[in-house]
Amino acid sequence: MPDTSQPNSEHLMEEIIKNMRLDFFENEEIIAVIDAIDSFDRHLRQKVLALCFALSHASSSLVSNTLKRISTAAQKLEPEEMERWFDDAADILESQGIDPFIDFVAKVPEDGLEPFMEPERLRLREVTGLLETYLMGISGLDLTIGTDSEPYTDTDTVYLPPVLSRSRVPQENLLLYVLMAAHKWGQIACGTLMVDLHEAPPEGPGTSGPEDDEAGPRGIEALFRQFPERAFAVDLFSLLEAFMLDSFLRKELPGLMSKAEGLKAEIFSERPRLEDLSEKSAFAEGIYHYYLSGNSKGTAPEALAKMRDKILSLRGATDPNEIVGVLFAAYDAAKELKGDYKPQRPVFFLGTIKPERVSRRLEAKREEAMKKLEGVITKLMNMPDFEPRRHRSDGPAVRAKPVRKDEEYLAIKGKIVALDEEINSRIKELGGVPGGVLVKGSDVESGSTYVTLKDLTDEEDEPQAKGAGVKYDEWDYKRGDYKRQWCSLFEVEIQPGEEPFVELVRKRHGGYIAALRKRFEIIRTVPKMLRRQKDGDCIDIDAAVEAFSDMRAGLSPEEALFVRTDRQERNIAVLFLIDMSGSTKGWINDAEKEALVLMCEALEALGDRYAIYGFSGMSRTRCEYYKIKSFDEPYLDSVKGRIAGIAPKDYTRMGAPIRHSASILNIVEAKTKLLITLSDGKPEDWGAYKGDYGIEDTRKALIEARERGIHPFCITIDKEAGSYLSHMYGETNYIVIDEIRKLPNRITEIYRRLTI
Amino acid sequence: MEKKTIKIEEYLVEEEPYYLEVDKEKALFEAAYRNRIPVLLKGPTGCGKTRFMEYMSWRFKRPLITVSCHDDLTVSDLVGRYLVQGGETVWVDGPITRAVKVGGFCYLDEIVEARKDTTVVIHPLADHRRILPIEKRGEMLHAAPEFLLVISYNPGYQSVLKDLKQSTRQRFLALEFTYPGRELETEIIKHESEIDAPTAGRLVSFGDKTRNLVSAGLSEGASTRLLIHAAKLIHSGVDPKIACEVAISGTLTDDHEMIRALSEIIQSIF
Repeated sequence: MPDTSQPNSEHLMEEIIKNMRLDFFENEEIIAVIDAIDSFDRHLRQKVLALCFALSHASSSLVSNTLKRISTAAQKLEPEEMERWFDDAADILESQGIDPFIDFVAKVPEDGLEPFMEPERLRLREVTGLLETYLMGISGLDLTIGTDSEPYTDTDTVYLPPVLSRSRVPQENLLLYVLMAAHKWGQIACGTLMVDLHEAPPEGPGTSGPEDDEAGPRGIEALFRQFPERAFAVDLFSLLEAFMLDSFLRKELPGLMSKAEGLKAEIFSERPRLEDLSEKSAFAEGIYHYYLSGNSKGTAPEALAKMRDKILSLRGATDPNEIVGVLFAAYDAAKELKGDYKPQRPVFFLGTIKPERVSRRLEAKREEAMKKLEGVITKLMNMPDFEPRRHRSDGPAVRAKPVRKDEEYLAIKGKIVALDEEINSRIKELGGVPGGVLVKGSDVESGSTYVTLKDLTDEEDEPQAKGAGVKYDEWDYKRGDYKRQWCSLFEVEIQPGEEPFVELVRKRHGGYIAALRKRFEIIRTVPKMLRRQKDGDCIDIDAAVEAFSDMRAGLSPEEALFVRTDRQERNIAVLFLIDMSGSTKGWINDAEKEALVLMCEALEALGDRYAIYGFSGMSRTRCEYYKIKSFDEPYLDSVKGRIAGIAPKDYTRMGAPIRHSASILNIVEAKTKLLITLSDGKPEDWGAYKGDYGIEDTRKALIEARERGIHPFCITIDKEAGSYLSHMYGETNYIVIDEIRKLPNRITEIYRRLTI
Repeated sequence: MEKKTIKIEEYLVEEEPYYLEVDKEKALFEAAYRNRIPVLLKGPTGCGKTRFMEYMSWRFKRPLITVSCHDDLTVSDLVGRYLVQGGETVWVDGPITRAVKVGGFCYLDEIVEARKDTTVVIHPLADHRRILPIEKRGEMLHAAPEFLLVISYNPGYQSVLKDLKQSTRQRFLALEFTYPGRELETEIIKHESEIDAPTAGRLVSFGDKTRNLVSAGLSEGASTRLLIHAAKLIHSGVDPKIACEVAISGTLTDDHEMIRALSEIIQSIF
């Protein structure tokens, strides 16, 4: 709308355009600037114009850059906060000149806005941890929280707005966040985002058959592609869905939903009247009204009024496909309505649906699974010799087994290959494999035999040239025996890292470290009263009385009659074995290092003896074992440098490093010996060291350690930790940390729990 | 004021304790008892192990002798000792000896807390020999046919210093206890606290959600016992939210952030 109250505003605009032309700006760039200026509200626009006018005299390129920052600031700040920020910026430009102004504006993406924010606003990052724990509690799923302008979810991440300021009371804003998060969980739990197209009612316009699946998108995205007016359909769906979510959440979280009632009434009073909208918009808005109060404000279009009962009946829906049914009906009913559909602001706690994000996420998951499978198949196809290996003298022969009719196999190069369980379940999930090599057992000529993947991918059994290093046996579960002297392990010096990583972590976690040290010092200094000792500070009355009675009864009395307080009762040696394989690159590596720093602090306070080693390597001839801190070494700068130098290397062959750690622990004198391994998933090395083979060898190495009186405990950082873990590590001897940022805090707690 | 104290071996559970069966544990216990196989009750705290023992001892009309194990528990504490009385020494049987003599159920609660050298005295009692050596008297005591040894432990504590030795555990039949399912748990809470079904249902739902958080920072979820505590408070007129906070959240953790998250969940449920 042209601004008539400010006669010079158009003039300013023209001047800016003129200056930009003089600086040889393209038309498109000029239009972008005009659009950006026009996007601000009237009051702000005037000020922005004046500022841009001043800037355009200096350099027109400043105009577009500054505008971008102003837009960002306007999104993050409330209007009155924005005004203060903008006035400050203009003041700086006027009084201090252009350079300080640029500095000031450049700080927007970082923390430059914070001084201008009202304290009662609740920022998402203050409560992210709380909300994630909340979501995990109510759902049992590990959902992360992300930031976006509107609440929605892609089924893995729940996106919430960065700031809430609806209420002046932070506690109420938190309630809103909780409400949003709960609704997003509702979508996931009810499966409304997973509606399956195949079950959609046939009257849908241009329903595509399942055969199109390969090419087109699936699930909810495919559903919405059927609607010419997609935005309208998406909004209808999220509205209709709200009815089902409402009753679901009422059942699951009645307290929360009763609080939502008050909000609904409040929101209802803010919604536009239906008469003020076009018929089509009123149709959607009317559903909002039904949702909020059961009735519409103003007269609902007849098409909607007729559907009211059907829509309200969705409250009792249990199957998301019922929503799809009503969606088609509602969409059809609204077809003939006049006017364009202009989306109204959605009820903020309901959020929106982004079908493309959901589909993309699901697609990504599927692709990941597919890639793994493809990898296996490609490997198979490229294998030069496809004959299973011949009988060996030192182990059982690979026997070809007859094909079972009800199972599926891969047919490659004329051979029938059976799949292991993991791949099989993945194929079922995917509904097929690339290349059409999957066959049913019943389709194969009867009498055919199959071989297993393992037989084909197994490493050659020839002994290789023997290198130096320490030799370790490796467990071959198929053979049920050790491969003697199979792995060569080398102790390697780690290059100290350049940056002062340890100091940085200590600075960042200063407060936490202080609390941590205190907590560990408590364990250390708790005086432990030892009863019935042969010598000590004090007589054990119980023992003395008993000895006296024994004596009177003619028995030889017990000699241990003293009580002794012992402060150094802990006699624990712990070795941390850190996974330095390539897969730890990035976050995991940093978190491992951070965890080590905290752990060192805690252990220094506690006084337990500890050592830290890292491992990686490639193939059995080169298992590398990195010394970071040995038992005798004090925690000095050299150790800190090596912690900083921990970097991702190659593969994860876990057996040999565990055996080596066990032999190090074996020569340490301690009552309790602990081996804590920190890894990020399955053991895997170049060659055959993967799948069951790696798992079984690791398991065996851990059992050996246990037999030597060492308590192994494994910490795994693995989002998709499989069922193999409890087998590999033993039921109570491991823990999965699914979120890497929690590792540093968790590891110290785990250690504390393990040793008190 | 008379007859307040009774001897431990005379403790009989007279009224039928309330116990809802979760998974055929009654029949399994009975089979173990008939075959004189000692029983190991495994499970998280507050899921009904002790109540189950009370029930079974009522059912078979055997005295129930419970010993809560701790790290100062000595063999004499279990088996017995000489005491001096009026210038003479008198032998006093320990709880396990009494149970062996009268043929009671001897229930060693939280067995892993006991010192390792104490735990081994039950070994000869827990296999086919069924004898209790009383070293100080130079005697062997044959267990009465009705005697049954039951121990309990909670595998959830991961401390490496507290584990049950294989030589001990491999003498027992293991009954695994978990929290009862939603419906059963609601029923139990309703019965124990006399609150209405919807409130009991909400408590169970909250309990369930705390159990979801076990991998995220809680060392254990809310036990049925805690839920009952909260329910009793509610029944005496305490606001449900406050009841949950004092009876459940506060007892589960000291972590401030976790308490906040739990209280958000409480607010959402009640």
